[in-house]
Amino acid sequence: MSTSIVPQLVGKDLRLLSRIILTFVVVSLIFIAILAAIWDHVPAVVQGNFGFILLIGPAGTCGIVMLMKTNVLEKEKSTQAFIMSLPVTVKEFTRAKLWVNLPVFGLFWAAISAVAFYFAFARGLFPLGGVPFVTMVFLGGFVAYTCILAVSLVSQNLGMTVLCIALFEMATSGYLWAIAFLNPISQHIWGAVAVWNPTAVGIVAAQLLVAVSVIVVTLLVQNTKRDFI
Amino acid sequence: MDLPLAIQCEGVSKRYPHFHLQNVDLSFEQGTVMGLVGPNGAGKSTLMRMVMGLIGPDSGSIRVLGHAMPHDQIAAKRHIGFVAEDMRLYESETIAFHMDFVRSIFDSWDDDYAQVLLRRLDLNEKQKVKGLSHGQRVKATLVLALARRPSLLVFDEPTTGLDPAVRKEVLDEMMNALADETRSILFSSHNTLDVEQISDYITFIYGGRVVESSNKEDFLDGWRRLRLTNPHNRPLPDLPNIKEAQQSGQIWTVTVNQYDDALPAQFTQAGLTVTAVERLTLEEIFLSIVLSAKANIQMKVAS
Repeated sequence: MSTSIVPQLVGKDLRLLSRIILTFVVVSLIFIAILAAIWDHVPAVVQGNFGFILLIGPAGTCGIVMLMKTNVLEKEKSTQAFIMSLPVTVKEFTRAKLWVNLPVFGLFWAAISAVAFYFAFARGLFPLGGVPFVTMVFLGGFVAYTCILAVSLVSQNLGMTVLCIALFEMATSGYLWAIAFLNPISQHIWGAVAVWNPTAVGIVAAQLLVAVSVIVVTLLVQNTKRDFI
Repeated sequence: MDLPLAIQCEGVSKRYPHFHLQNVDLSFEQGTVMGLVGPNGAGKSTLMRMVMGLIGPDSGSIRVLGHAMPHDQIAAKRHIGFVAEDMRLYESETIAFHMDFVRSIFDSWDDDYAQVLLRRLDLNEKQKVKGLSHGQRVKATLVLALARRPSLLVFDEPTTGLDPAVRKEVLDEMMNALADETRSILFSSHNTLDVEQISDYITFIYGGRVVESSNKEDFLDGWRRLRLTNPHNRPLPDLPNIKEAQQSGQIWTVTVNQYDDALPAQFTQAGLTVTAVERLTLEEIFLSIVLSAKANIQMKVAS
């Protein structure tokens, strides 16, 4: 039998993470319920800021906890020696970690983004002109996550990963502020219709390209590793 | 058809900033046990990790059960059970979780044998790993390695830190595993008693180099301690196989390897009287080799 054990590795990590994922999903549902309950009773500025924090908090934290547990602690707690004693290569190990983290976080983030869009636009908090910018905000969060995931996988180092989280948190805020002040974006944010001009489309495409490139580069770098314990 | 060698390392080297594994040759056939002995930091774990494909050599070649490592590590590791002293299982999970996981990977997993092992090693599969003692954790990894019925077992210091009772249990299971005559074991330890008990071949490794490697019987047979009296203070004969010599007044104690029955006569011809010829334990040979290798290194550094 020479089939890949990536599915078994993914299944194992999902079982290990199941309680964590479930906890954060429940917390998210509670926060969404709180948001829905207070929505019409607080000023718009509170709705926007409070809603943003309540929605991205559990999803973002869940993503970080998952990558810490599957990538960094695997090495720090020496369970990696057990896994690598099984019929698996570094390449397959990396693929398995990506298959666990990206789909789970991606689905969680997409669901949270959908809820945010509902509250922000379907319930009239912001005009539809803000749709491209808010898309960039949530996509920016996903790109930052892929970068942190890549660093956690390649370095498997707690310090490096924490430093990376801090840096990307600041960098993402700065980057989104910069976009918000770009004229082709800023002039439409408060407009009544969503304008997908070349700048908006270009930024979204660039974000997607960066996310894909980071994953490809991670696989390539991991493939070159000769020592993996 | 001849079976491929269990392990065949040729000219294997690996350089780290503060350690250099140099030009290691090591091989043994299937169905035998190779004991790898050396002090801490000698390079045993590095060599074992290279055998497992976890570390790539800078030069040289490694074949495990006929598979080139690390290139063919997937095919090779389907037939290897690995247990290392520093290998850990998932603390929040039970032994059964790990058994389910390993069972899902290996078609060769033998559930009945796993249950027998659990009973013999006094383990409860429903117990979480975080509640296990060090000895129980080692026994649990042993179950996971043995129940997949591998052709080759690689044990890196499995008995380190175990109490005598658990150590015996682990060694007994390793011996039981050899009931299958084609199964091989590569076993590292700095506990020479363990190695002496189960090995067919012994390799001494020190400072990243293989110092000696041979069949256990030849090995033990080749080393002797000679007790000599030297009343006229004559110089010792210049023999290349003298590994250690200690003087206390007129009494000399000389440790030699590659011993043959003609050797005492050479001391007699040099004017010394041989009062006793004693066999050495593996522990004594180990210490002699380490001291001799250390002295050689210090001489090289000094020159």
